[in-house]
Order: sequence, then structure tokens, then C-alpha cells
Amino acid sequence: MSDLDDFKATYFDECSELLTELEEQFAAIEAGERTPDRLNAVFRAIHSIKGGGGAFGFSELVAFAHAYETLLDHVRDGRIELSDPVAVLCIRANDLVADFVNSAKTGTKLGAAYGAEERAQFDALSNGGAHGAAAGDDENGPIVEEFDIDFVPVMVNLDGAAAAPVVPPADDSFVSAPLAVEKGHWEIRFAPHSELYARANDPLLLFRELANLGELTVEAKLNEIPPLADFEPFGIYCTWELTLVSPTATAESIGEVFEFVEGNCDLSIAQLSSKNSKAEPSLADLAQIVTPPSAAPVTDAEVESLSFAELAETVKAEAPKRAAPPPPKLVKSAEIDPAPPSLAAEELDDRRAGPDDRRGAGVQSIRVDLDKVDRVVNMVGELVITQSMLTQQMDDTLRAQYQELVRGLEVLAQTTRGLQDAVMAIRAQPVKSVFSRMPRLVRELAQKTGKKIKLETIGEATEIDKTVIEQLSDPLTHMIRNSADHGIETPEKRRALGKPEMGTIRLSAEQAGGNILIAVEDDGGGINRDRVVQVARDRMVIGPDQQLTEEQIDNLIFAPGFSTAEAVSDISGRGVGMDVVLSNIKKIGGSVHVKSRTGLGTRMTLRLPLTLAVLDVMLVKVGPSPYVIPLSSIVETIQCSRADFGRAPSGAKVLRVRGEYVQVVDLAERFELGSGADLANRFVVLCEAEGGVKIALIVDDIIGQQQVVIKSLEENFESIEGIAGGTILGDGNVALIVDVQGLKAPKLHKNAA
Amino acid sequence: MDNLAYKDEYGATAQANAQNSLQLIAFSIGEQTYGVEITTVREIRAWNGATPLPNTREYVRGVINLRGTIVPIFDLRARFGEGVTSPTKNHVVVVMSVGEKWVGILVDAVSDILTVSKDDIHNVPEGNSVDTELLNGIVTHESRMVGLIDLHAVVSGAKLDG
Repeated sequence: MSDLDDFKATYFDECSELLTELEEQFAAIEAGERTPDRLNAVFRAIHSIKGGGGAFGFSELVAFAHAYETLLDHVRDGRIELSDPVAVLCIRANDLVADFVNSAKTGTKLGAAYGAEERAQFDALSNGGAHGAAAGDDENGPIVEEFDIDFVPVMVNLDGAAAAPVVPPADDSFVSAPLAVEKGHWEIRFAPHSELYARANDPLLLFRELANLGELTVEAKLNEIPPLADFEPFGIYCTWELTLVSPTATAESIGEVFEFVEGNCDLSIAQLSSKNSKAEPSLADLAQIVTPPSAAPVTDAEVESLSFAELAETVKAEAPKRAAPPPPKLVKSAEIDPAPPSLAAEELDDRRAGPDDRRGAGVQSIRVDLDKVDRVVNMVGELVITQSMLTQQMDDTLRAQYQELVRGLEVLAQTTRGLQDAVMAIRAQPVKSVFSRMPRLVRELAQKTGKKIKLETIGEATEIDKTVIEQLSDPLTHMIRNSADHGIETPEKRRALGKPEMGTIRLSAEQAGGNILIAVEDDGGGINRDRVVQVARDRMVIGPDQQLTEEQIDNLIFAPGFSTAEAVSDISGRGVGMDVVLSNIKKIGGSVHVKSRTGLGTRMTLRLPLTLAVLDVMLVKVGPSPYVIPLSSIVETIQCSRADFGRAPSGAKVLRVRGEYVQVVDLAERFELGSGADLANRFVVLCEAEGGVKIALIVDDIIGQQQVVIKSLEENFESIEGIAGGTILGDGNVALIVDVQGLKAPKLHKNAA
Repeated sequence: MDNLAYKDEYGATAQANAQNSLQLIAFSIGEQTYGVEITTVREIRAWNGATPLPNTREYVRGVINLRGTIVPIFDLRARFGEGVTSPTKNHVVVVMSVGEKWVGILVDAVSDILTVSKDDIHNVPEGNSVDTELLNGIVTHESRMVGLIDLHAVVSGAKLDG
């Protein structure tokens, strides 16, 4: 694991956060909230994704993000109106950016043509006059007129840069022709601090942005480069003097270019009188200009022939000349110095903080490894156990004798309980992180099915344990697919039924006691019960004469392989989806409930535990060892003396319970633990494994019911047949969790070791 | 003479700190001394019982709770095929890290920290497959023979046997 991999992992983490934010911003924009703050937030997010992508050389991602960014920039400037088609294009672009990020993450190639269509649309919109009409994007045609004609040549130049995603060599666009226009001369002195680079800003990008404003001459000041021996890799040895010739630029528009690096550099912007315009740069200057600002390759042949040390020497020799005081021609008409916190700078800060505030006033967060949190959770668990052990040690004599100690222990007990709650809360995350993936799914489904569907989300801030959230994505996807494909009707049908053409899928989350309820509700046709029953009869899932209640019929859709679809489409119909929902949710200790009203819609509710870490179990004893059985799988317990055992022809014991014969597994026998107890004093725990298969476990004693924290055995050892994991009891001992599902299978024969 | 002896000892210590030396935690099973590299040892704790695991090898004594993590305990005596230890409170569990995993080894007693030179490590004589499989080498310390435990073999053997 190299540092770079670490950085990459962080970058992808950030990307997924940024993409979530994008999704959020566009949800608001789609809802009609088209404020500049929203756009700025979008712009920043895309810019960050692009910046990081560039650093890792994800050229496809960068190229696309750049084209997108250019479009956004124009929208932000008001050169392109944020009309509905543009918003739709942007949302589509977000999806594509997500795809590109994903492809970069997994290392898969999307192919050169991927996103080309959208990029063509961006270019058409961005370049307006040049291609807009030709691209046939009529809605955006009128925008052409809004373009400043001065812009066109610069844009074409930038397009070239955009097409080549890799950062072009420094000499690409900065060595400008002698200045022709004698109007609006600006001199900009730019000295970055190390933080600027630390935040992954690239002066090249800033200069390119400046070049958008007019003719730009860039001169790098390399006089501070030390001899190679003293050279620090992260040292800042380069400052720049830039001359911008632009009839339209203002101090503000130039300042805006540097907005993102403000505070991380020394910057002065001054207007020159036109007569004092700089002479054409000398050849030496030219060499300096093309000398890379930071790491870009040296391209000038003459410079290339010099070794680095020689170059440094040359520069040093020139240093006195260059270190001459700032040219007197500098007229201090407008100088922006961000270093002292001026009123303007504060205003800028406020403006930038704006959208963040909207997200949650002053909420600050840090990124912590889940491992570290788990370590704290473990340690707190240990603390709770130690604390309860101490309390148990207290007997009445001690209590009477050491009252102070008792009081101290009581406080300790309270504090540890509080600490435990607080730590569990750290692991909790808002369901927003899964919900935010759904709008895209719904858009794609609507497109594929030709239906009109809108998604409403409620209760996104509801928090659940992170592990539960991770398990939630698949079931939700299947449920929403089901709603879109089977639930919502086609627009024509909906119109005929007198419903609004736009179908609604409502995704909601709420906390109810110790559970989280997540519901997917649609206003479609509801479950077609006749058809479900017919299919079930055809497939012999139910008997021909069996009468079912509506609820039983609805639950049939969860049967594996059950599908009412006549044809398998690429959305659904294989009969896998609902089965996945049920098994995934059961796996994390939840349940699924479906309620349907013909013609009005269907609601599926997932009931989930607040945390996965805690499991409700029954504590039993087998031989000398404690075992726990998940409460969710237990149907009932019976005393052995009252149980009705029989023998199968193979000699295996079976249990007859309520007219059913059930396989019996004696845990003491199965686990090779001698049981001292009589059969009559032992207990049968009747459990239900996956698929409704019952199994009767014989245990020596039932101790009680409690909540435990699941621990993995594989972490330090290996998986063991019949055991699902371990847990730590209140006395600090380890109890094993019985794997009901695994016990169903006959015991494997061990090799003679 | 005394001076000279002191010097020798000093010299030995200095050498010990050099790369060529190895620090071992030595522990005993019956009369025999074994050692593991000190850097792999995480913790030494008294035997306080373990929860037996079903369906596993006899030398896996069970699992214990080590500050919230479940750690398996291997009975080294049983691993060497010398019968299962009947542990008392005086027996010791040496918790070590093997790769990513933490495991405990049940031994009779922990005796010492030894510093040995890598040059003094001898190969295990061929013949007994258990010895060659479970030991990395043999080193002599103060005329005692110390077997260097191959932790990976002790632990991963559990899987191979299964």
C-alpha cells in the first residue's frame, strides 16, 4: 500500500461525497431553486473532482469534467441561461461524472466514445456562436446572441486544451504574440504560498483562466531558486508577473480568477497606463517564461541543453538584475491585497460559506477510519463489562463499609452507559447516503420504461448504523425497480384512469422505537393478485384449491424465482429481485412488509434494527459452554419431557410438532460436548432457517434472553461449521453463536487427523 | 580480569543491538524451552479458561476475549503431539500476531528474554517431521537448547489438517 494508494482512496471517498452533494444541489435546482449559490456549489464540486482526477492522471474523467465545468462556468456567468434542457443535461452529466469516477476507481475503461454525445452538447452550448445552431440544439440557439464576440478566438484556443486532457506543456498558450491592443493593461504579481500547492491548486489553471480575459503574458520569476544542494522539493521558489491586456477586464474580474487561492498567495493587481506597456520580451525572458512553473517539462531546446544546476546558476547570476525593485511604472490605482482581512475579503468568505451553511448550520465533520471507531466501540464494550464485574463484586458488607466507593461506581456506571450510546452514535449515518443514489436510478428507469416517474424522499436525515446502510442499497434498488416496472402504469394508462401522468415513488425513512422503518411507496396499480395466484398455481407454489388471504398473496412475490412478468426485461422479470430484498433484510435482522391496494398503489416497508452490532439472542447452555441462538430464528421452545420425538427410518431423531416432522439436532452431540443432563431435563429450541425450513435444536439449559454484540471468529481464526460467530458475555467470557442455517446440513465427516 | 570480563559483556550487548541479533521470548513446555521473536509478542497473560470450539482440532483450546476481540488459543504441547495440557492458573497464554491475525499460545511458563546472534541459529535436524514443520531453527543459549517456533506453521496447520 503506497502513499499514492492512500491518497487515491481519500480522493474517491471525497468524490462520492461530492457526487452526493451534486445530486442534492441538482435536486434543488430541478425543483426550481436556481440561485447562484447552488451553481457555485456545483461548480466547486466538479472542480474538486477534476482537480483530484488530474493529479492521478485520470485523463478521461478530467477531460469530461473540464468540458462540463466550462459549461457550468458559462451558466454561472449568465452567458447561458439555466433553462430546463440545460438542467437536464447537467443532471445527465453528473451521472456521467459518477461513471467516470467509478471507472477510474475500478480501473475499467469506458471507451473513448463514452460521454462524447454530452460533450458535444456542452461544446455546442459553450461555444454558442460557433457550433450551437449546427448541433441542432434549437432551444439554446438564442443564447448565441449573448456572446461577447471578443471571446470566440480564446474559446477555440481553450477547446484545444480541453480536448487534450493531459495538462499541456507550459509553452502551449502563454507565450503570446507582441501586444497589439494598447488598452486595459493590467499587471498582476502572483506569489503562491506552499498551502496553495498543498490544496492541489495549479497556477497553470489560474493563468489559463486569466487568458480567457484577454491577451496574457506570463513571466516566471525564478530568482529565488537555490543551489541544488539546498533545494527543497516542496519549497516555493517561483513567483510570477503577468501582464494582461484586455479591454473588458476589471480588478474584480481578475480577482475572481484568484478567488479560490485567495489567502494562499500574495497577489497584487494593478492597472498600467497604456503607454507604459511592456516591451516585447527578450529571448532570455522568453526562456524564463517557458521554464516550467513547477514540474512541467522543459521544452525550450536551449534551456533543455542546460543541466539543472547550470540553470540554477544562470538564474542566480541573473538574480540581482531581476531582484530590482518593482517597476516604477506600477500605478496603484487598484490593488487587492488579500493578506490583511479586509472587509472585501470577509464578504468573499461569507459568500463562500453560504451554501455550506445551508446544508447544516456550522456542522463540522472529520473523516475517521471505521477501524478506529470499531476499536473505540470494542474498548467501550470492555469498559462496560469491567464496570459490571466491579459492581457484581460489591456485597452488602462492602456497600456499608465503603459508601464513597459505591457512589463512585454508580457514577462510573452512568458514564460508561453514556459513553456506549455516544460511541454507537458515531457509527450511525444518515440514510441520505443510500437515498441519494436513487434519483439517478429512477431517472434511468423512467427513460427505459418510457414512464413518467418522480421520486420523493422523506426523512433522509434518519440515522442508522453504517453496516446496515451498506446492506440497504441492493434491496432498495430492487424495490424501486419493482415499483417502476410493475407498479407505475404507462402515462396513457394513468391518464385513462384519471391519475396524473407523472407517477410518484415515495422513499421514506423514520425511526420507530428500536427500529428504523424504510418504506418504498408507489401510486401505481398495486399488486395484481389474480395474476400472482395464477402464476403461483402454475408453478405449484400453492395447491390448486388453496385459498389465500390478500396478505398471503402479496407475500408470494418474495418467493425465489417468482415473477409475474411475461417477458424478462433488463429491468426486472427474472424473479430474483424480491427474493434478494427479503434475504438481505433478514440477514441483517430486519423484516419486510408489503401492503397493496388495487388501483391505488403498493407500499413495502422494511423494518430494520438500529444497529447491526447488537443482536437479540437466547442464551443456552450446551455441556459446559454457553451458546447463543439468534432470537429472530427461534419459533418456540419445548421441554424435552413434553416433546413428541419419533425415529426416522435412518434412525435419526425427528420431532413431531403441530403436525409437522422436524429434523432434530442434539447440539451436545453435534459439537462433541458431553452433556451431563438427562434428556427429560433438556430443552428443544425450535428454529426456522432460511426458506421456512424448521429445525429442532436440543440444548442442556435455557439461561435467558439478552442483547449481544456480534464478533467475528474469522478475524483471528477461521470459520467453524455450525458456528456463525462469537460474542462476549457480561462476565467477559466468549459465547458462540449457533448458525441455525449451517446446522441444517448434515455434519461433514472430519478427516482423520 | 574483572575489567576484561565486563568489557566482553559490554561488547556482547553492543553486538546484540546490531542487526545480526535476535531477541526472543523464551517459554517452556515441560523441560523443553522454545522461543519466539519478541516483536511478534503482543501480550502475556495468565490462563483464565477459554470457550471451547466445537468441530476443530484438539490443539485448538478455544477462544478468549482479548479486549473485545475473539482470539483463538493453541495448545502448543498438543500441537507438538505431546498430549493436551491440563491448564492451571499458573499456565500462561502468550498472545502473538501472525500476519494480520492475533493468536494465543498456551505454554507452561514464560522464562526469559534472550538475545541470540542470528549466526547461532542451527537448522533443525531432519528426521522428525513435526519438529521440522513447526520449528524454524534451534539456537543454543547458555547450553540450553531453544527451539524457534514457526508461528505460521503452528497456526496455519490448523487449516491444513482440516
